[in-house]
Amino acid sequence: MPKQQKSRVTSIRGWLGIPVLAALTALSGAARAAPPPIVIGTTISETGPLATDASYEIKGIKLGIAEANAHGGWLGRKLVLKYYDDKSSPGAAVRLYQRLITLDKVNLLIGPYSSLVTVAIAPLINKYHMATLEPGASVPSIYVPGNKWNLMNTADSTTYLHQLMPLAKQHGAKTVALLGLESAYSLACYHARLAQAKELGMKVVYKTTYTLQTDFSSIALAIKNAKPDVVLECGYYPDSVNLVRSLHGQGFAPQFLGETVGPVEAAYVKALGPLANGVFGNSGWWFNFKTPGNAAFISAYEKMFNEKPDYHAAAGFTAVQVLGAAVQGTKSVDQEKIRHWIVTHTVQSIQGPIQDNADGRTVGAVQDMVQVQGGVLKLVAPTSLAQAPPQIPYTGH
Amino acid sequence: MLALQLLVNGILLGGLYVLVAQSLNLIFGVMGVVNLAHGAVIALAGLFTFWFSTSTGLSPLLVLPIAFVVAGLAGALGQRLLIEPVMRAGAKSELLSLIVTFGLSYILIELALQLFGADFVSLPYLQSSWTIGSLAFGKALMVAGLFAATMSALLYIWLNRTISGKALLAASQSPTGAICCGIDVARVRMIAFGVGVGLAATAGVLVIVIMPVAPQTASDLTLLAFVIIALGGLGDYLGVAVAALLLGVAQSLAGYYLGGNAEYVLPYVLLLLLMVARPGRFKRAR
Repeated sequence: MPKQQKSRVTSIRGWLGIPVLAALTALSGAARAAPPPIVIGTTISETGPLATDASYEIKGIKLGIAEANAHGGWLGRKLVLKYYDDKSSPGAAVRLYQRLITLDKVNLLIGPYSSLVTVAIAPLINKYHMATLEPGASVPSIYVPGNKWNLMNTADSTTYLHQLMPLAKQHGAKTVALLGLESAYSLACYHARLAQAKELGMKVVYKTTYTLQTDFSSIALAIKNAKPDVVLECGYYPDSVNLVRSLHGQGFAPQFLGETVGPVEAAYVKALGPLANGVFGNSGWWFNFKTPGNAAFISAYEKMFNEKPDYHAAAGFTAVQVLGAAVQGTKSVDQEKIRHWIVTHTVQSIQGPIQDNADGRTVGAVQDMVQVQGGVLKLVAPTSLAQAPPQIPYTGH
Repeated sequence: MLALQLLVNGILLGGLYVLVAQSLNLIFGVMGVVNLAHGAVIALAGLFTFWFSTSTGLSPLLVLPIAFVVAGLAGALGQRLLIEPVMRAGAKSELLSLIVTFGLSYILIELALQLFGADFVSLPYLQSSWTIGSLAFGKALMVAGLFAATMSALLYIWLNRTISGKALLAASQSPTGAICCGIDVARVRMIAFGVGVGLAATAGVLVIVIMPVAPQTASDLTLLAFVIIALGGLGDYLGVAVAALLLGVAQSLAGYYLGGNAEYVLPYVLLLLLMVARPGRFKRAR
């Protein structure tokens, strides 16, 4: 009895199997017709102290991938983005990139936001020979022969606010106070500006480095007592806001106040209100750039995210542009070929021409200078691109 | 005059510390529970205040009573449903309550992320200073400090001069003895936790006008509050207020003369030194 039953079941299965087999065959044919997607992996600081700036970068990457897919993808393959939140933590990023490379087996990689996190993942990238575009890692010391697989696609952090002290000197400024957050990019910026002050013959009357902290009242008081003409801070958004408030709280307004990264974020003006007016910041990209595709990028970004992009978004978008150019230029996702292509070609991106040297460092790109004027950011340097002349002095209201 | 300004800056910073730490201290003092969700409550209240004030254009200070009542009721309910059951677990109750509040902190941080996003935000409110001669008093810190001083004074009066406050202290010193005297210990704990959470929320309302806050700021705020109450004496309200003010002044001096890094690391160095020098101090005040 059991045997008969089994035989009958087998028989039914056999009949049912014919259409199933046919369907599977059809599906298999369809699968052959649609090649597998190209999977691009990355992590981003969706949470933690870097989240404000990083959120723009991932949006730029998402837009770049959406635009590429709208034009048929690369090599006839659709693009898929796989990303994780690294929580602004270098340790978490190392674990997640290990996962992207070994478990998710992504085809291509884009680096995380910030030099701090990138420095941590660099050994892994180089161990697995993954050609990784770095839209958010601006420290030049990353791009050395030992890290040949890290490929920069933005201006380096030694150029942040490099126009401020020469401008101040033109207007008679002689003294400067310099501050640097204890983080890879900001220290590179801080040391570059220290060296620049020396070259310009400006006296550094106060300098300090600091850890992510909330109280700047003592530092502000020390700055007030040093009476610098220029205050220049290399930091991130939260400390930028705290410093401006503390300077104001101590009743001090330098003639020139510059802060990297923070002022370009919409949250900066919201947090400081009128105190933001007159503060200088830096940007590697701007709305009025006459670069190929820039107007379309701005329009598509605003449509997709209902906000204006910043230079972090442009850098993220550019990373996808450069990767796409390399994949299509080499007609492959072979890491060695892609790396070689990137360091031997110039890509006309929305940020301008991106050309990496043999170490993977972008050459010739610099950060421009912006200023908050009447609650709105305007490009003020270089003069050839300036939307408005710089407003001097900073008044703190 | 420089010394005086450094002292003023330090006291104002200390006032902020009292604000952040005293509510955690209340909960620990009465229940022996280190509320690891403390920072999350502050951050959530701060982010709600930002949303409220930017949406309505109204003063963030209007949120103070709302935050106290809503968070206080939610805290009391949470205590009754989640923490009170583990308080009956005998010797393991402190460890279990630590685990519960640790889990709660993650839920609240995730809630804040979903509701308000991950960005740091802050309100441009009370940014200027009052000046007396050449001394500057930051308005936001002054308001926070005055609120913290009032809160500490009211707490002191409540705990030492009222029947309900004395019942609360009795329950913290000897739960069994308190039960024998007819005190409903479970109710007392619920009130203490509710008041503590309510006060933490009011701290959040003021913190958002002092510094940028994001959901992930929660763990930093919890750590800071814990360091302060550890320095002041766990469960010792006056000790915590004094420690907060002294720490503020010490950081003010360190920041001015030694720079930002020294100021940042000072509380943790002091805590380590105190733990080594006076290990017996790290017991709940009775």
